[in-house]
Amino acid sequence: MGINPIEYRAWKGVRSAQKSRLYVIAKSVFRHKIRSFGVIALLALGFLLVHAFQIIFSVIAPHESLDAQTMYDYMGSGGTFAIFAILLGAVVTSDLISDDVANRSFVLYFSRAIKVRDYLAGKSSAALLIMSLLCAIPPVMVAIASMATQTGDDYSGSAGVLGRTAVAGAIATIFFVPYGLMMSSLTKRKSYAAVGTFMSFFVMIIVAELFAEFDPAWRIISPADSLAYSFSWIFGLEMPSYVDGWALAGFMTAFIAIPAAVVYLRVKRQVVG
Amino acid sequence: MQGAVENPDQVIPKDDHILLTARDVTVRFGSVIALNGFTVDIPRGVIGLLGPNGAGKSTFIKASLGLIPRNGGTISVGGLDPQTQSLRIRDDIGYMPEHDCLIPNVSAVELVSYLGQISGMGPRDAMQRSHEVLDFVGIGEERYRLVKSYSTGMKQKVKIAQAIVHDPSLLFLDEPTSGMDPNGREEMLDLVRRIGATGKTVIVSSHILQEVERVCEHAIIISDGRLVRDGKMGVLMAGEEGLFNITIRGVPKALEGFVRALGGVCDIVEKTDEGTNQVALSARGCGDGRRVFALSKEHGVQVRGYVPDKMSLEDVFLQAFQGGGSRGY
Ligand SMILES: Nc1ncnc2c1ncn2[C@@H]1O[C@H](COP(=O)(O)OP(=O)(O)OP(=O)(O)O)[C@@H](O)[C@H]1O
Ligand SMILES: [Mg+2]
Repeated sequence: MGINPIEYRAWKGVRSAQKSRLYVIAKSVFRHKIRSFGVIALLALGFLLVHAFQIIFSVIAPHESLDAQTMYDYMGSGGTFAIFAILLGAVVTSDLISDDVANRSFVLYFSRAIKVRDYLAGKSSAALLIMSLLCAIPPVMVAIASMATQTGDDYSGSAGVLGRTAVAGAIATIFFVPYGLMMSSLTKRKSYAAVGTFMSFFVMIIVAELFAEFDPAWRIISPADSLAYSFSWIFGLEMPSYVDGWALAGFMTAFIAIPAAVVYLRVKRQVVG
Repeated sequence: MQGAVENPDQVIPKDDHILLTARDVTVRFGSVIALNGFTVDIPRGVIGLLGPNGAGKSTFIKASLGLIPRNGGTISVGGLDPQTQSLRIRDDIGYMPEHDCLIPNVSAVELVSYLGQISGMGPRDAMQRSHEVLDFVGIGEERYRLVKSYSTGMKQKVKIAQAIVHDPSLLFLDEPTSGMDPNGREEMLDLVRRIGATGKTVIVSSHILQEVERVCEHAIIISDGRLVRDGKMGVLMAGEEGLFNITIRGVPKALEGFVRALGGVCDIVEKTDEGTNQVALSARGCGDGRRVFALSKEHGVQVRGYVPDKMSLEDVFLQAFQGGGSRGY
């Protein structure tokens, strides 16, 4: 303050960004995330282990057109793709809400005129953007590279597969985020949230395995498997006979919608007004 | 250009005298009753919210922001209900929570400008304003350092900076001086005074009476979730009607004669010898003091002070808690 105290000055400006509060949060979270070690490491590893080989392969292996089966094998079977999506989902979402509650900056957000909806949309769109760097953009790049090097001239068929790839990528991007956010809203410790997210997927996978002994239809409650089944449907391939399309759709919808509702209600309850 | 509306973001009307009213507000946390039929009218100005620990000060502030639900009663902030119309009023309110609440791994400029943007300011405006308010609160080059490296005093300053970044009309400061050293407190009180001088309404909670006494124009005393006393500082601290404190100087003999004579015209409540040549008296019923001065001439003593009785806020506080509150609590 010193010798010459500065007088308080009123601000004469106009709040020009009333509508972009959501975007402000998203941008800040994204910038923070993209510099964090865990995210960079997972993106790099995932890119190397899941995508890099596929890009090279799709360019050098002679192929007539972009083939749905190839894309499915790459994204759906084997499970590495899903495992990385789960890991990244857990890491990206774990601190989004828990940290705000832990360091109480939560109250700084909500003493301002921000809707719970915008707060959550801001946080999750940043998470989705990061997820898409692993789950959607690389597969689309693979598909484009493959199309660009195809020997045949069925471009419209290839474009269809490209579109399906984008849809599959979008689903993989969205699939794990609400669950991770829910975990983040249930604890103040981001490590608990991350481990909790990962562990509960793990438990679902184990449970699915166990029950599948009796009836393979139970496999859909493994998030990794249900994601893979949805891919085979998206790519227009045959789903295993034991998978009931409606049950799969129901599980996947519930897996996204229930956590999303829980997060909303949790935050709403903590904020009241 | 809209001519009539000076600032469209200003929701809280500028003209009403009473800015915030609470009627029978009850807030419970399980079995704890934090506010118990709290009723108050808060005018504009710098307002002190006083009470011991656990009185319900923070609860009242949070309820006024719509951050916690009420179990009963009504609150109106500039005519709006903070619970159902929270989004409208919050753009015009600044809030400095009592606890640590800053995001630790960003710098102060970033943090304040980020929160400015959450309040709806454009990114450039927010950044510029962030520098302006950090200048105002006295955070210098440190503003580029991560907040987690700050001392408690600096954190308090950043907390107040984030509360004023969007230039709200109403500010709630919950124990702004807590954890600060005497110099820091002084600076903080000075900030409050300077903000108040611009015509904003600032509601400052504290349990340190001297602080409130120094900066506030109006005080609200709360205890056990109820209003104990409230009023303008001058009125609150005014002593008993008709009671005057008189200080006189003179040789001991003359003093003795004067006191005896004064006892004949008014009612001397208290007499204290302040050394051999000075006496302090509390007297009632001396009227406008003309007779006191006449008597002093007669007895050859000098009147050095003739002032209406005045209490410190501490006296008010103590009196209120001994059951002497004006509202009969
Ligand atoms: N979230 C809560 N859960 C349970 N009890 C609470 C909660 N918040 C406040 N209380 C209780 O409500 C009462 C009033 O608390 P409040 O924080 O409003 O007091 P205060 O006047 O701000 O005190 P202090 O000077 O210590 O900050 C206290 O008995 C407190 O224990
Ligand atoms: Mg408090």
